[in-house]
Amino acid sequence: MEAALQQLKTLVEATFPLPPDAWNALAAIWQPGSAKRKEILTAAGAVEKYLYFITSGVQRVCYFDENTREATLVFTYAPSFGGVLDSLLLAKPARYSFETLTQSTFLRANASDLKAVMQQHPAVLEMVHTGVTHALSGVLERLVELQAFSSEEKFRKLLQRSPHILQLVPHKYLANYLGIDPTNFSKLINRVQL
Amino acid sequence: MKRTAQIALLDALENQVELHLEEAIRTFQNLPVEIALKPATNGGWSIAQCLEHLNTYGDFYLPEIAKALHGNQIVDSDPQFKSGWLGHYFTHMMQPGSGKKMKAFKNHIPADHPDAPRVIATFIQQQEILLQYLRLARQADLHKRLPISISKLIRLQLGDVFQFVIAHNERHIQQAKRHL
Repeated sequence: MEAALQQLKTLVEATFPLPPDAWNALAAIWQPGSAKRKEILTAAGAVEKYLYFITSGVQRVCYFDENTREATLVFTYAPSFGGVLDSLLLAKPARYSFETLTQSTFLRANASDLKAVMQQHPAVLEMVHTGVTHALSGVLERLVELQAFSSEEKFRKLLQRSPHILQLVPHKYLANYLGIDPTNFSKLINRVQL
Repeated sequence: MKRTAQIALLDALENQVELHLEEAIRTFQNLPVEIALKPATNGGWSIAQCLEHLNTYGDFYLPEIAKALHGNQIVDSDPQFKSGWLGHYFTHMMQPGSGKKMKAFKNHIPADHPDAPRVIATFIQQQEILLQYLRLARQADLHKRLPISISKLIRLQLGDVFQFVIAHNERHIQQAKRHL
Protein backbone atom coordinates (compact mmCIF):
# COMPACT_ATOMS: atom_id res chain seq x y z
CA MET A 1 0.00 0.00 0.00
CA GLU A 2 2.91 2.33 0.79
CA ALA A 3 4.35 2.00 -2.70
CA ALA A 4 0.93 2.57 -4.24
CA LEU A 5 0.35 5.69 -2.15
CA GLN A 6 3.76 6.91 -3.22
CA GLN A 7 2.70 6.49 -6.85
CA LEU A 8 -0.43 8.49 -6.12
CA LYS A 9 1.62 11.15 -4.36
CA THR A 10 3.95 11.42 -7.34
CA LEU A 11 1.04 11.88 -9.70
CA VAL A 12 -0.63 14.48 -7.49
CA GLU A 13 2.60 16.45 -7.01
CA ALA A 14 3.19 16.48 -10.76
CA THR A 15 -0.30 17.57 -11.72
CA PHE A 16 -1.87 19.45 -8.82
CA PRO A 17 0.32 19.81 -5.71
CA LEU A 18 -1.67 19.86 -2.46
CA PRO A 19 -0.85 21.48 0.88
CA PRO A 20 0.26 18.83 3.45
CA ASP A 21 -2.99 18.62 5.45
CA ALA A 22 -5.04 18.23 2.27
CA TRP A 23 -2.69 15.52 1.02
CA ASN A 24 -2.85 13.67 4.35
CA ALA A 25 -6.64 13.74 4.31
CA LEU A 26 -6.66 12.49 0.73
CA ALA A 27 -4.10 9.76 1.40
CA ALA A 28 -6.20 8.37 4.24
CA ILE A 29 -9.25 7.33 2.19
CA TRP A 30 -7.73 4.61 -0.02
CA GLN A 31 -7.93 0.82 0.29
CA PRO A 32 -5.71 -1.52 -1.72
CA GLY A 33 -7.37 -4.02 -4.02
CA SER A 34 -6.68 -6.42 -6.84
CA ALA A 35 -8.58 -8.27 -9.52
CA LYS A 36 -7.93 -11.06 -11.98
CA ARG A 37 -8.21 -10.77 -15.75
CA LYS A 38 -11.72 -10.05 -17.11
CA GLU A 39 -13.30 -9.17 -13.80
CA ILE A 40 -16.08 -6.64 -13.85
CA LEU A 41 -15.29 -4.02 -11.22
CA THR A 42 -18.36 -1.93 -11.97
CA ALA A 43 -21.32 -3.35 -13.84
CA ALA A 44 -23.41 -1.13 -16.10
CA GLY A 45 -26.61 -0.27 -14.30
CA ALA A 46 -24.97 -0.07 -10.88
CA VAL A 47 -23.85 3.20 -9.34
CA GLU A 48 -20.07 3.54 -9.36
CA LYS A 49 -18.98 3.16 -5.73
CA TYR A 50 -15.29 3.99 -6.05
CA LEU A 51 -12.66 6.21 -7.51
CA TYR A 52 -9.84 3.89 -8.57
CA PHE A 53 -6.16 4.69 -8.73
CA ILE A 54 -4.55 2.06 -10.93
CA THR A 55 -1.16 0.70 -9.91
CA SER A 56 -0.82 -2.19 -12.37
CA GLY A 57 -2.58 -3.84 -15.27
CA VAL A 58 -4.92 -2.55 -17.94
CA GLN A 59 -8.65 -1.99 -17.64
CA ARG A 60 -11.34 -0.50 -19.82
CA VAL A 61 -14.55 1.43 -19.57
CA CYS A 62 -16.93 -0.02 -22.11
CA TYR A 63 -20.43 0.15 -23.39
CA PHE A 64 -22.53 -2.90 -24.36
CA ASP A 65 -26.06 -3.15 -25.58
CA GLU A 66 -28.62 -5.78 -26.50
CA ASN A 67 -27.79 -5.30 -30.15
CA THR A 68 -24.33 -6.69 -29.37
CA ARG A 69 -22.80 -3.29 -30.03
CA GLU A 70 -19.66 -2.84 -27.99
CA ALA A 71 -17.64 0.33 -27.57
CA THR A 72 -14.37 0.57 -25.67
CA LEU A 73 -14.32 4.13 -24.41
CA VAL A 74 -10.99 4.32 -22.67
CA PHE A 75 -8.16 2.15 -21.41
CA THR A 76 -6.84 2.85 -17.95
CA TYR A 77 -3.49 1.80 -16.54
CA ALA A 78 -0.89 2.94 -14.00
CA PRO A 79 -0.51 5.61 -12.87
CA SER A 80 -3.93 7.01 -13.55
CA PHE A 81 -7.45 7.08 -12.18
CA GLY A 82 -10.15 4.67 -13.22
CA GLY A 83 -13.78 3.83 -12.75
CA VAL A 84 -16.95 5.15 -14.32
CA LEU A 85 -16.32 8.72 -13.32
CA ASP A 86 -19.58 10.37 -14.30
CA SER A 87 -21.57 7.75 -12.43
CA LEU A 88 -19.37 8.28 -9.36
CA LEU A 89 -19.64 12.05 -9.30
CA LEU A 90 -23.32 12.22 -10.24
CA ALA A 91 -24.24 9.24 -8.03
CA LYS A 92 -26.28 7.90 -10.94
CA PRO A 93 -26.35 4.37 -12.40
CA ALA A 94 -23.45 3.80 -14.77
CA ARG A 95 -24.21 3.46 -18.46
CA TYR A 96 -20.89 1.71 -18.93
CA SER A 97 -19.00 -1.06 -17.21
CA PHE A 98 -15.47 -0.96 -15.85
CA GLU A 99 -13.60 -4.21 -16.24
CA THR A 100 -10.06 -5.51 -16.03
CA LEU A 101 -8.39 -6.71 -19.21
CA THR A 102 -5.37 -8.08 -17.36
CA GLN A 103 -4.59 -8.91 -13.74
CA SER A 104 -4.74 -5.59 -11.96
CA THR A 105 -3.91 -3.87 -8.72
CA PHE A 106 -5.26 -0.57 -7.53
CA LEU A 107 -6.17 1.68 -4.67
CA ARG A 108 -9.76 2.70 -4.33
CA ALA A 109 -11.63 5.29 -2.34
CA ASN A 110 -15.33 5.18 -1.83
CA ALA A 111 -17.57 7.97 -3.00
CA SER A 112 -18.63 9.26 0.42
CA ASP A 113 -15.08 9.41 1.79
CA LEU A 114 -13.96 11.23 -1.33
CA LYS A 115 -16.85 13.70 -1.07
CA ALA A 116 -16.02 14.37 2.57
CA VAL A 117 -12.37 15.17 1.78
CA MET A 118 -13.45 17.39 -1.10
CA GLN A 119 -15.79 19.29 1.21
CA GLN A 120 -13.26 19.67 4.01
CA HIS A 121 -10.31 20.64 1.78
CA PRO A 122 -10.96 23.14 -1.03
CA ALA A 123 -7.58 22.25 -2.55
CA VAL A 124 -8.78 18.66 -3.10
CA LEU A 125 -12.03 19.92 -4.56
CA GLU A 126 -10.03 22.04 -6.97
CA MET A 127 -7.78 19.09 -7.81
CA VAL A 128 -10.75 16.91 -8.69
CA HIS A 129 -12.24 19.73 -10.74
CA THR A 130 -9.00 20.10 -12.68
CA GLY A 131 -8.75 16.35 -13.13
CA VAL A 132 -12.24 16.09 -14.52
CA THR A 133 -11.53 18.99 -16.89
CA HIS A 134 -8.43 17.19 -18.19
CA ALA A 135 -10.56 14.09 -18.66
CA LEU A 136 -12.95 16.20 -20.71
CA SER A 137 -10.04 17.49 -22.83
CA GLY A 138 -9.03 13.90 -23.42
CA VAL A 139 -12.52 12.96 -24.56
CA LEU A 140 -12.71 15.91 -26.95
CA GLU A 141 -9.34 14.98 -28.43
CA ARG A 142 -10.50 11.42 -28.91
CA LEU A 143 -13.70 12.59 -30.60
CA VAL A 144 -11.58 14.42 -33.15
CA GLU A 145 -9.49 11.30 -33.75
CA LEU A 146 -12.50 9.08 -34.16
CA GLN A 147 -14.15 11.43 -36.65
CA ALA A 148 -11.24 12.76 -38.63
CA PHE A 149 -8.23 10.44 -38.38
CA SER A 150 -7.45 7.49 -40.65
CA SER A 151 -7.18 4.04 -39.06
CA GLU A 152 -3.42 4.23 -39.32
CA GLU A 153 -3.27 7.66 -37.65
CA LYS A 154 -5.56 6.50 -34.84
CA PHE A 155 -3.40 3.43 -34.35
CA ARG A 156 -0.19 5.47 -34.20
CA LYS A 157 -1.80 7.83 -31.69
CA LEU A 158 -2.75 4.87 -29.49
CA LEU A 159 0.80 3.50 -29.62
CA GLN A 160 2.14 6.95 -28.78
CA ARG A 161 -0.03 7.10 -25.66
CA SER A 162 0.49 3.45 -24.68
CA PRO A 163 3.51 1.88 -26.40
CA HIS A 164 3.20 -1.49 -24.66
CA ILE A 165 -0.47 -2.04 -25.09
CA LEU A 166 -0.03 -4.44 -28.03
CA GLN A 167 1.75 -6.89 -25.73
CA LEU A 168 -0.67 -6.53 -22.84
CA VAL A 169 -4.14 -6.64 -24.29
CA PRO A 170 -5.85 -8.87 -26.90
CA HIS A 171 -6.02 -7.05 -30.21
CA LYS A 172 -9.79 -7.29 -30.40
CA TYR A 173 -10.09 -4.66 -27.64
CA LEU A 174 -7.69 -2.33 -29.44
CA ALA A 175 -9.61 -2.78 -32.68
CA ASN A 176 -12.83 -2.03 -30.85
CA TYR A 177 -11.31 1.10 -29.27
CA LEU A 178 -10.19 2.34 -32.68
CA GLY A 179 -13.52 1.56 -34.32
CA ILE A 180 -11.89 -0.91 -36.73
CA ASP A 181 -12.95 -4.49 -37.29
CA PRO A 182 -10.42 -7.10 -36.10
CA THR A 183 -9.46 -8.33 -39.59
CA ASN A 184 -8.57 -4.83 -40.76
CA PHE A 185 -6.76 -4.27 -37.50
CA SER A 186 -4.52 -7.32 -38.14
CA LYS A 187 -3.72 -6.02 -41.62
CA LEU A 188 -2.95 -2.61 -40.11
CA ILE A 189 -0.52 -4.07 -37.58
CA ASN A 190 1.34 -6.07 -40.18
CA ARG A 191 1.65 -2.93 -42.28
CA VAL A 192 2.61 -0.48 -39.55
CA GLN A 193 4.91 -2.65 -37.45
CA LEU A 194 7.44 -3.39 -40.16
CA MET B 1 -6.91 -41.35 -7.67
CA LYS B 2 -6.98 -39.25 -4.58
CA ARG B 3 -9.44 -36.50 -3.83
CA THR B 4 -8.17 -32.98 -4.12
CA ALA B 5 -9.71 -29.76 -2.91
CA GLN B 6 -11.80 -28.40 -5.73
CA ILE B 7 -10.91 -24.77 -5.21
CA ALA B 8 -7.18 -25.47 -5.16
CA LEU B 9 -7.49 -27.47 -8.37
CA LEU B 10 -9.46 -24.74 -10.12
CA ASP B 11 -7.03 -22.08 -8.89
CA ALA B 12 -4.14 -24.01 -10.39
CA LEU B 13 -6.02 -24.45 -13.68
CA GLU B 14 -6.88 -20.75 -13.77
CA ASN B 15 -3.24 -19.85 -13.27
CA GLN B 16 -2.30 -22.09 -16.20
CA VAL B 17 -4.85 -20.48 -18.50
CA GLU B 18 -3.70 -17.04 -17.38
CA LEU B 19 -0.14 -17.95 -18.39
CA HIS B 20 -1.35 -19.24 -21.76
CA LEU B 21 -3.20 -16.00 -22.32
CA GLU B 22 -0.19 -13.90 -21.41
CA GLU B 23 1.94 -15.86 -23.87
CA ALA B 24 -0.59 -15.55 -26.67
CA ILE B 25 -1.10 -11.83 -26.07
CA ARG B 26 2.51 -10.89 -25.56
CA THR B 27 3.98 -13.02 -28.33
CA PHE B 28 1.70 -14.92 -30.70
CA GLN B 29 -0.71 -12.15 -31.61
CA ASN B 30 2.17 -9.78 -32.43
CA LEU B 31 4.08 -12.14 -34.70
CA PRO B 32 4.42 -11.25 -38.35
CA VAL B 33 2.04 -13.53 -40.25
CA GLU B 34 4.86 -15.30 -42.11
CA ILE B 35 6.43 -16.41 -38.85
CA ALA B 36 3.12 -17.69 -37.49
CA LEU B 37 2.66 -19.73 -40.67
CA LYS B 38 6.17 -21.12 -40.95
CA PRO B 39 6.27 -24.95 -40.65
CA ALA B 40 8.61 -26.39 -38.04
CA THR B 41 12.12 -27.28 -39.19
CA ASN B 42 11.25 -30.96 -38.81
CA GLY B 43 8.17 -30.51 -41.01
CA GLY B 44 5.81 -30.27 -38.04
CA TRP B 45 3.01 -27.79 -37.47
CA SER B 46 3.44 -24.04 -37.61
CA ILE B 47 2.47 -21.86 -34.65
CA ALA B 48 -0.86 -21.11 -36.33
CA GLN B 49 -1.51 -24.81 -36.93
CA CYS B 50 -0.76 -25.65 -33.29
CA LEU B 51 -3.26 -23.04 -32.14
CA GLU B 52 -5.85 -24.05 -34.73
CA HIS B 53 -5.59 -27.63 -33.47
CA LEU B 54 -6.27 -26.32 -29.96
CA ASN B 55 -9.19 -24.24 -31.25
CA THR B 56 -10.89 -27.35 -32.64
CA TYR B 57 -10.93 -28.77 -29.10
CA GLY B 58 -12.26 -25.51 -27.73
CA ASP B 59 -14.96 -25.49 -30.42
CA PHE B 60 -16.21 -28.83 -29.09
CA TYR B 61 -15.54 -28.60 -25.37
CA LEU B 62 -16.47 -25.03 -24.47
CA PRO B 63 -20.17 -25.46 -25.35
CA GLU B 64 -20.18 -28.86 -23.59
CA ILE B 65 -18.59 -27.31 -20.50
CA ALA B 66 -21.18 -24.54 -20.57
CA LYS B 67 -23.96 -27.15 -20.69
CA ALA B 68 -22.40 -29.08 -17.82
CA LEU B 69 -22.16 -25.93 -15.70
CA HIS B 70 -25.74 -24.88 -16.39
CA GLY B 71 -27.99 -25.53 -13.42
CA ASN B 72 -25.17 -27.44 -11.77
CA GLN B 73 -24.57 -25.41 -8.62
CA ILE B 74 -23.67 -27.17 -5.38
CA VAL B 75 -23.59 -25.89 -1.85
CA ASP B 76 -20.52 -27.34 -0.22
CA SER B 77 -18.04 -25.35 1.80
CA ASP B 78 -15.11 -27.57 0.87
CA PRO B 79 -15.91 -29.52 -2.28
CA GLN B 80 -13.54 -32.30 -3.28
CA PHE B 81 -12.89 -33.72 -6.71
CA LYS B 82 -11.74 -37.21 -7.60
CA SER B 83 -10.38 -37.83 -11.11
CA GLY B 84 -11.73 -40.82 -12.98
CA TRP B 85 -9.13 -43.28 -14.27
CA LEU B 86 -9.80 -42.42 -17.93
CA GLY B 87 -9.72 -38.69 -17.27
CA HIS B 88 -6.48 -39.12 -15.41
CA TYR B 89 -5.08 -41.18 -18.28
CA PHE B 90 -6.03 -38.60 -20.93
CA THR B 91 -4.55 -35.77 -18.89
CA HIS B 92 -1.37 -37.71 -18.28
CA MET B 93 -1.06 -38.44 -22.02
CA MET B 94 -1.23 -34.71 -22.71
CA GLN B 95 1.61 -33.74 -20.41
CA PRO B 96 4.53 -32.41 -22.40
CA GLY B 97 7.35 -34.90 -22.03
CA SER B 98 5.02 -37.88 -21.64
CA GLY B 99 7.07 -39.17 -24.54
CA LYS B 100 4.06 -40.00 -26.69
CA LYS B 101 3.86 -38.59 -30.17
CA MET B 102 0.30 -38.92 -31.36
CA LYS B 103 -1.42 -38.36 -34.67
CA ALA B 104 -4.25 -35.88 -34.41
CA PHE B 105 -7.77 -37.26 -34.78
CA LYS B 106 -9.55 -36.51 -38.07
CA ASN B 107 -11.74 -33.71 -36.79
CA HIS B 108 -8.80 -32.02 -35.06
CA ILE B 109 -6.34 -31.70 -37.93
CA PRO B 110 -5.48 -28.08 -38.72
CA ALA B 111 -5.67 -26.65 -42.24
CA ASP B 112 -2.53 -26.42 -44.37
CA HIS B 113 -2.85 -22.63 -44.64
CA PRO B 114 -4.75 -21.27 -41.67
CA ASP B 115 -5.78 -17.62 -41.35
CA ALA B 116 -3.14 -16.92 -38.70
CA PRO B 117 -4.50 -13.69 -37.17
CA ARG B 118 -7.98 -15.18 -36.96
CA VAL B 119 -6.73 -18.43 -35.43
CA ILE B 120 -4.70 -16.59 -32.79
CA ALA B 121 -7.59 -14.25 -31.97
CA THR B 122 -9.91 -17.28 -31.61
CA PHE B 123 -7.44 -18.99 -29.31
CA ILE B 124 -7.31 -15.89 -27.10
CA GLN B 125 -11.08 -15.59 -27.10
CA GLN B 126 -11.45 -19.26 -26.13
CA GLN B 127 -9.03 -18.87 -23.21
CA GLU B 128 -10.98 -15.89 -21.89
CA ILE B 129 -14.15 -18.01 -22.02
CA LEU B 130 -12.35 -20.89 -20.34
CA LEU B 131 -11.31 -18.55 -17.50
CA GLN B 132 -14.92 -17.54 -17.05
CA TYR B 133 -16.03 -21.20 -16.92
CA LEU B 134 -13.31 -22.11 -14.42
CA ARG B 135 -14.65 -19.38 -12.14
CA LEU B 136 -18.25 -20.60 -12.51
CA ALA B 137 -17.01 -24.13 -11.83
CA ARG B 138 -16.04 -23.15 -8.28
CA GLN B 139 -19.67 -23.64 -7.29
CA ALA B 140 -20.34 -26.58 -9.59
CA ASP B 141 -20.21 -30.34 -9.24
CA LEU B 142 -17.06 -31.30 -11.15
CA HIS B 143 -18.11 -34.95 -11.25
CA LYS B 144 -20.82 -34.24 -13.81
CA ARG B 145 -20.05 -36.04 -17.05
CA LEU B 146 -19.85 -34.76 -20.60
CA PRO B 147 -19.05 -36.41 -23.93
CA ILE B 148 -15.59 -36.36 -25.47
CA SER B 149 -14.92 -35.15 -29.00
CA ILE B 150 -13.62 -38.40 -30.39
CA SER B 151 -16.37 -40.72 -29.24
CA LYS B 152 -19.96 -40.12 -28.21
CA LEU B 153 -19.85 -43.31 -26.15
CA ILE B 154 -17.30 -42.01 -23.69
CA ARG B 155 -18.16 -39.41 -21.06
CA LEU B 156 -15.61 -37.75 -18.83
CA GLN B 157 -16.10 -35.83 -15.62
CA LEU B 158 -16.13 -32.05 -15.92
CA GLY B 159 -13.11 -31.73 -13.63
CA ASP B 160 -11.17 -34.12 -15.85
CA VAL B 161 -12.22 -32.32 -19.02
CA PHE B 162 -10.85 -29.05 -17.63
CA GLN B 163 -7.57 -30.73 -16.72
CA PHE B 164 -7.18 -32.55 -19.98
CA VAL B 165 -8.03 -29.55 -22.20
CA ILE B 166 -5.63 -27.29 -20.31
CA ALA B 167 -2.82 -29.88 -20.29
CA HIS B 168 -3.37 -30.31 -24.01
CA ASN B 169 -3.17 -26.55 -24.50
CA GLU B 170 0.08 -26.50 -22.57
CA ARG B 171 1.54 -29.26 -24.74
CA HIS B 172 0.90 -27.45 -28.00
CA ILE B 173 1.85 -24.03 -26.68
CA GLN B 174 5.22 -25.50 -25.75
CA GLN B 175 5.38 -26.89 -29.28
CA ALA B 176 4.52 -23.47 -30.75
CA LYS B 177 7.10 -21.73 -28.58
CA ARG B 178 9.82 -23.98 -29.91
CA HIS B 179 9.50 -22.06 -33.19
CA LEU B 180 10.66 -18.86 -31.51
